[in-house]
Amino acid sequence: MPTPDRLRRPARTVKAALRRRDGQATFLFGALGYPLLYLASIGHLALGARGQSVQVVDDPLSRMLRQTRPFSFEPVARVAVDPVALLVSPLDIGVALVLAALVGANLAVAVVVWRSPAACGVERSAGLLASVPALLTGATCCGPAILFVVGVGTAGAGTGVLLTAVGYATPVTALLLVGSLILVTRGTAAVRTDG
Amino acid sequence: MRTRHTRRAAVALGVGAVGALAGCLGGNSVVDAGGGDDGHDDGTETPSADGPPPADRSPLVAYDASRLRAATVSGGPPKDGIPSVDEPSVVDASAAAFLRDEEIVVGVARGEAVRAYPRKILVHHEIVNDRLDGVPVSVTYCPLTGTVLGFERGATTFGVSGNLVNSNLVMYDRATDSRWPQVLATAIDGPLTGRSLREFDVVWTTWRQWRARYPETEVLSEDTGYVRNYGVDPYGSYGPKRGYYARQSTMFEPLTTDDRLQPKTTVLGVRTGAGATAVQSSWLAREGVVDAAVGDERFAFVHDPALDSGFAYRVPADVPVAADGEDDRIRVDGDPHAPDALPFERAHGIEAMWFAWAGFYPETDLHAYP
Repeated sequence: MPTPDRLRRPARTVKAALRRRDGQATFLFGALGYPLLYLASIGHLALGARGQSVQVVDDPLSRMLRQTRPFSFEPVARVAVDPVALLVSPLDIGVALVLAALVGANLAVAVVVWRSPAACGVERSAGLLASVPALLTGATCCGPAILFVVGVGTAGAGTGVLLTAVGYATPVTALLLVGSLILVTRGTAAVRTDG
Repeated sequence: MRTRHTRRAAVALGVGAVGALAGCLGGNSVVDAGGGDDGHDDGTETPSADGPPPADRSPLVAYDASRLRAATVSGGPPKDGIPSVDEPSVVDASAAAFLRDEEIVVGVARGEAVRAYPRKILVHHEIVNDRLDGVPVSVTYCPLTGTVLGFERGATTFGVSGNLVNSNLVMYDRATDSRWPQVLATAIDGPLTGRSLREFDVVWTTWRQWRARYPETEVLSEDTGYVRNYGVDPYGSYGPKRGYYARQSTMFEPLTTDDRLQPKTTVLGVRTGAGATAVQSSWLAREGVVDAAVGDERFAFVHDPALDSGFAYRVPADVPVAADGEDDRIRVDGDPHAPDALPFERAHGIEAMWFAWAGFYPETDLHAYP
């Protein structure tokens, strides 16, 4: 159970990082890039559309609440602008934006720490390691497909465990991103904002 | 201080590794996600308040229902998380600009109705509740077992339960919520346990080949009532084969493992109440005709080069059936016939990945490359 100070410290560190240009640039890179990656990985953003069109389903308000997978919901519209097609699932986009903010914050802190570790009282390597979950959660996407990629063969109970894990990957990812901020900023000094 | 930093770095690395795994496992857990004759093909509708109409003959179910229920697992999506298409719309072949020639379709020619169901749409819905030649039907596709089957649904509709057995789609009917593994065509749970479905033939082929055979065909349109990127297949690709379809590994343990063929090899099988037999699809394509038997029933598997697909027929014991070396005709007692029009009762040939067929029918015969 973290103390309020443990939560305040990463918040302060993130704020301080975002007052620096390099922190801002990195945050924007993560926060803008991650949703595109996330939506592409769940199949909601795709190439290959022809022409321009907008489709909206009937009764979008109730449809948007229908779950298709754990933490993923029915898209209510499809917007195609040659060659890109975007499925609009408001709740999925919300999930993507929350994760994107966390990824951006992780990257911003990592970059700032890496560029001026002494100012933060953190080793450069620790700052870099903090960015690892942020970078790798970009794969929050492929569900069981990743099991094929990593070569999970004919697995019995293990597959069930992995699939259960799949269902909770989104909140687990969010917790890991928050956790890495707490860990990396634990015991740090304030980030210098002059540069 | 240094030690603390080192430990922190290690923890961060651990967090990163777990985050990587969790991240990779997040999101698109889309898991589900042949045909034949039971002697009922008079086109009459049998509305029933208690589920789909029963078949006259039940195919083999090689396991107790309790064993199959115990082997049923969640595929990830909740019930109806993969939504069936309940109000399909169709277009003429000339208006199917969204389909490329080489893309796979599931074709149905039933009475006056000729219709193609693009695989790229089916992979997102798995079940289309349609009406063909006046009869309410469901055209079903399980991506993980590569099986397509057609069923009569009566007054109800089928939906995707979100569960799998032997990697195979478990359907449910909306009248009774009974559970029906697609390949078994028989309920294993719910009020209708033990009841088998009336099946009809469907064909796995390409759009070019289907259109050439049936120029008047209609096509299921992308206007399904849902929005999807129908060009995106969550499992891989069939042109060329990639991802799950190409890799030999499966995600779920088969009911039975049988290494006579590689798991994802395509076979064409038939099952009766007494047993099952199958032929390796590429072997059938080479041979043209393959003789098989289940118990004392004789079957002829026949390859149709124009559709690059196969059919199965119940054939009397003493009638010679052979491929003609000169054209695509099949000689029955010396007389030439088109592969899809032999003068015999059609049996339901089911194309399937070998692991799925062998898992459901562990005693199956197999005809394959020597």
